[in-house]
Amino acid sequence: MKRRNLLALMGMSPVALAGLPGIADAAEKADKSKKVAMSGDPKLTVLNPRGLPPPITLIPMAPRLSTLDGKTIYLVSDGFPGADAFLNQVSIWFKKNMPEVKTVYRLKAGGFADDDPKLNAEIKANGQAVIMAIGH
Amino acid sequence: MGIPAAPMVTIAFKDLAKTNAAKRGMPLQRISFTPHPVWGKTDDQMYAYLEGNDPVSGKPLMKEVVESLTRPLTPDEAKTGTVTPPTGAPTFTDTADNLQQYFLDNGMTDYMPIILPTQEKVDVMLKATSHKPDEVVGKMTPAQGAFPAWSFTVQQVAVNAVMAGAIPDYFPTLLAIGSTGISALFSSTNSLVSAAVINGPIRDKLQMNYGIGAMGPFNQANAVIGRAWTLMSKNLDGGGVAGETYMGSQGNIINYNNLIIPENEKDSPWPPFHVQKGFKPEENVVSFFFGFGIQQGQGGKGLGMKPIPHYHEAMSANVAPFASLFGALFILDPLVAHGLGDLGFKTKDDIADWLQKNTTVTVKDVKTMLFSGLPRGQAATLKDDDVIPKWERTDAYNFIVCGGQTNPYHQLANMSYRLSVSIDKWT
Repeated sequence: MKRRNLLALMGMSPVALAGLPGIADAAEKADKSKKVAMSGDPKLTVLNPRGLPPPITLIPMAPRLSTLDGKTIYLVSDGFPGADAFLNQVSIWFKKNMPEVKTVYRLKAGGFADDDPKLNAEIKANGQAVIMAIGH
Repeated sequence: MGIPAAPMVTIAFKDLAKTNAAKRGMPLQRISFTPHPVWGKTDDQMYAYLEGNDPVSGKPLMKEVVESLTRPLTPDEAKTGTVTPPTGAPTFTDTADNLQQYFLDNGMTDYMPIILPTQEKVDVMLKATSHKPDEVVGKMTPAQGAFPAWSFTVQQVAVNAVMAGAIPDYFPTLLAIGSTGISALFSSTNSLVSAAVINGPIRDKLQMNYGIGAMGPFNQANAVIGRAWTLMSKNLDGGGVAGETYMGSQGNIINYNNLIIPENEKDSPWPPFHVQKGFKPEENVVSFFFGFGIQQGQGGKGLGMKPIPHYHEAMSANVAPFASLFGALFILDPLVAHGLGDLGFKTKDDIADWLQKNTTVTVKDVKTMLFSGLPRGQAATLKDDDVIPKWERTDAYNFIVCGGQTNPYHQLANMSYRLSVSIDKWT
């Protein structure tokens, strides 16, 4: 699936597309196919081998906060090595630079792609924002 | 949740993060990137990441994170609706050379020439099953939970089968593989591999090789079934796009056509693997394994013992360094299986029990290993010098007999059993 096509299909504006560096370039490259044969060669019709992706339901992003002052930010690790130590540094950064922000560290339960309803409920009850570390 | 979130992603996962956010309905999610990796870096190095710039946007990283949580949404970011992603036209028409190039340029091959899937060739393939071309075979994803699963039909499997060079007799096996939804190109940074063990009379019907060179490039069915699985794993679920839906840091040569292992049932002293799993001997079955990969077992401890090499000791020593995240899969030449019998291991359970009891590690070693863990509930009570079983359960050990008896050798894989499915259901 070409990402430019996907974004265009979603009705995203050219400005939004330009905000995804690297995406458009890669899609352009995939769109091209070098013509290597003589034009007089006979033509064949072949079938597309691709499966059927599910429809995508667009999810509006959550409204942003007017300020982080006095707010609690949950720092959530996906469990990959190093994420805990990295988020500890994020916590230290807030203490040094935005001491009015409270941070709470949590390790998400389950595999990296699994939902954690219990943690989600805790964040919704006690937090106003989330920073999630992904990678290792 | 309705609460603003700011993902911080290491730059190695840039394309994956952006495209996966789009595929999950949030194409403009505000993602900030750090240098890669964070794992193995000191606190000072990681703090320096935070004080530096996002390597993608070039903006101060933490300022960007704060802004992600506080800058009002644009209309595009608040968009709702449903879209169906495009996968291209149902057919492509061009010269044969141009079509080869088109498939290659669009990532639909393993970068080796394919058989062009004309309707005529696909129709011949479809005659090898009683299932209708538009029947949905299953759903597949490059990584469970991480990517939305795509569905696919009997005809779409047939197209990939033709591309790989399959003859119609192979088609039910490929449909059985597809029906599990198991991708051979699982997206992990670990460059994981998959194995399919084939049991039952179909091994002979397809003239598969379970003798000399069984796991090498010496047989059409062994090779092509494996290749087709890789093509299916690219095309049926959008997988195998390096940096986007495939993240193996180094890749794995086994992914070209996977580990296709027809068991040498006739020369084995033990019941075939599928019978262990509850199938009848005359049933045709494919069983799946998944994990880090495979290596040879020559030179292991105990193999120099006379008159009978102590295969069990070598097997134990060879798997001791494995990560316990996956289990141990042994591919035993029939000579080894019979040799184990001569040593008193009359069944697969006998050898599994011995290995489970005698393959041990210290708690201290486990603590220093990646992808290995202490037994659940015991971590607090164990001391560093305590010796514990490598795997707690005997079913972590699996055995397949395969090979041509030119020497009593074994290979071993740090791989776990997943499931077994009927091939006959797809004839």
